[in-house]
Amino acid sequence: MGSYTRLLLAAALAGALATAACGSSSNPSAAPTTVPTGKTGGETLSLYNDKGQWKQFFTDIGALSKTQVGSDLNPVGYTDENTYQAFIKASLRTKVKPDLFTWATGGELNSLASQHVLADTSALWKDAIGKGYLSQQLEPYYTVDGKQYCVPLNVAYWGMFYNKHVFAKYNLQPPKTWSDFTTILSTLKAGGVTPMYQTSTLFTFVWFEQLLAGSNPDVYNALSTGKAKYTDQAVVDTMKLWQSEEAAGYFTDPTVKDQPQALLEKGGDGGVAMVPFGTWFNTSMTAEGQKPGVDYGFFVIPNVNPALPKTSMVFETGPLCELASAPHLVDSLRVMNWWLTPDAQQKWAGSRDDVSANPKATISDPALQEVAAAAGSGQYNIVDRYFEAAPPPVLTAALDAFGAFMVKPSTYMDQLNTIQKAADQYWATNK
Amino acid sequence: MTTVQAGRGPILAAARPSQGAPRWRPQPLLFASPAVLLVVGLLYAPFVWTAYLSFTSYDGLNPPQWTGLANYIGFFRDGILWVTVSNTLMWVAGTILLPVGLGLFVATVTYRSRWGTLLRLPFLIPYAVSGAGVAVVWGFVLQPHGALNEVLAFLHLPGGHASLLANRPVNTVVMIVASTWQQVGVNALLFLVGLQSIPEAPLEAARLDGADGWRLFRYITWPLLRPLTAVVVGLAIVASLKTFDVVWVLTQGGPGRSSETLAVTMYRDTFVANEYGTGSTVAVVLTVIAGIASVLYLRGQLSSRRTVEW
Repeated sequence: MGSYTRLLLAAALAGALATAACGSSSNPSAAPTTVPTGKTGGETLSLYNDKGQWKQFFTDIGALSKTQVGSDLNPVGYTDENTYQAFIKASLRTKVKPDLFTWATGGELNSLASQHVLADTSALWKDAIGKGYLSQQLEPYYTVDGKQYCVPLNVAYWGMFYNKHVFAKYNLQPPKTWSDFTTILSTLKAGGVTPMYQTSTLFTFVWFEQLLAGSNPDVYNALSTGKAKYTDQAVVDTMKLWQSEEAAGYFTDPTVKDQPQALLEKGGDGGVAMVPFGTWFNTSMTAEGQKPGVDYGFFVIPNVNPALPKTSMVFETGPLCELASAPHLVDSLRVMNWWLTPDAQQKWAGSRDDVSANPKATISDPALQEVAAAAGSGQYNIVDRYFEAAPPPVLTAALDAFGAFMVKPSTYMDQLNTIQKAADQYWATNK
Repeated sequence: MTTVQAGRGPILAAARPSQGAPRWRPQPLLFASPAVLLVVGLLYAPFVWTAYLSFTSYDGLNPPQWTGLANYIGFFRDGILWVTVSNTLMWVAGTILLPVGLGLFVATVTYRSRWGTLLRLPFLIPYAVSGAGVAVVWGFVLQPHGALNEVLAFLHLPGGHASLLANRPVNTVVMIVASTWQQVGVNALLFLVGLQSIPEAPLEAARLDGADGWRLFRYITWPLLRPLTAVVVGLAIVASLKTFDVVWVLTQGGPGRSSETLAVTMYRDTFVANEYGTGSTVAVVLTVIAGIASVLYLRGQLSSRRTVEW
């Protein structure tokens, strides 16, 4: 080998080593164990998020943050969840790290926390619960191995959004019982209106969780811990009920491409009368120019099983997180601490017409205010949303299986077997 | 008798380097090194890394765990395999049949036509749109109560109320049609270049011998287009094996994985299921299939010297 060749190879090797060294993450600095007070250094903090359509809301809250705590927020929004998650994971190994970022509770939060890459927010939680800014009930969603990570970006209760004009036309009222609800379905169908929205993309689990949580919440909860099987009779019965509703034509075509808010606005005119979603859907509806209480309303879906002591209500919460290796570690914690205050939450929830994690923040929509207050008082049996409750590999299999079921409802047993197979594989190694 | 020789053209008969005594000179290596480093760093290294990951269990967060051939065994035992493979083969067959076939048709019909450029233009414009953009546009056409349903219902034809994206194989077929809309133009353009490169003499000779229309095309034009057809079909095979964007935007491989192709499976396993190891396995298998298909096909088409006699 000639000297030039050796020189070239040495240079290439040195370059590769230098690149590798640049790519490796330095040891994360420890987050403070006390709540950082005072104002930030004034730098703008990046806020990476998977809610690209919320850019204006992030910008608005950033302006308030600058005034009150010293730092503006620069939202970097993604609209594709997979791309977003891949970026956040890649950021752990590169120098491009977000100051703050949105994530998901459940398995997703656990996976990051177990890698010790998240900043510890235990002190913030203790302080906020003490001041009444956060509910103690929320804490478990953010707790991994006894420590808290992230703070609530949002909370949402799941129920049914309905087109008030359609309900008025058919003289329908929000249902109090499952029987009332089935009457609504049949009345709408008889009137030529498609009663409910469904989609075979991502949100395929919605009606499954609603029916099972309203029939047998214990089995629903046990599915997420591997203590119940998808082939258990209670689950099979739920799928049979769902199948009968599919057969009756109570749902939209699952491959529909129109946005659900556009379909609900159309109502009986080629749209849909009801959309079962979380309270965050209120943001989409108001953005569509629809008026809550006038054009559309929200009701809690009654239990299928009237013998249950409380109505089951699906709950979700999404976190705002910080990496332990964040560029502005302490100042980002300052902003997260401020984020929990009534001022910040009033602005954040108010601009989106949504409920807040802070019970002291008031909600502009009276229907949602009522639901949030009732949920906070323990009136409902709160169950975790399936998306966070199911272990990720089981969720992936289930989302596909429910989508396949919507197209061919008669295959419900095949789909349950498929999900159970994924569950068996997962629980075999994750006790 | 006229003999037309097709096959290896001037491109393959490139000038060879001089046969002088080899002398080691470092300068060429120096000049080539930036490009070589780029290729190694951006193409070979990621492929080697992907190949390594295909033998591991890796979620993108925890360090990869060596699992040997487990991912490959799982891939070939997966019940969904035949669905994704058959969908992918449908894309290969459909792409050769429709975009390539129609491209040849458009090029042949419009070649020498007075209004040829004008006639070809509508086919070429969609090529400027990205695959994802095409899928969004076709989403409005193919969705329930979409434009196609409305037209069929208006004309009282079957399919007016059919859910076109719901069931296989219909969902794959309509997506191939959507892709065809975009791809015909560029294939027509390639075939047009091929038609323009055919020498006039054999065509004139054939005409003097009485060949015309279909016979002229079948026995003179088509054989002379063979080298270019081989390239166009070869490109179509590779492109269709990699089909992703149209499917992902229109159905995300669903409902229930019914329209998944191998490339979509690769993406799903990696970025949706966060199983980077199994996603890498699909990537390696797909690369091997595309490589073998390309080599076999192009070798078969380009290696022999073909002659046409009349």
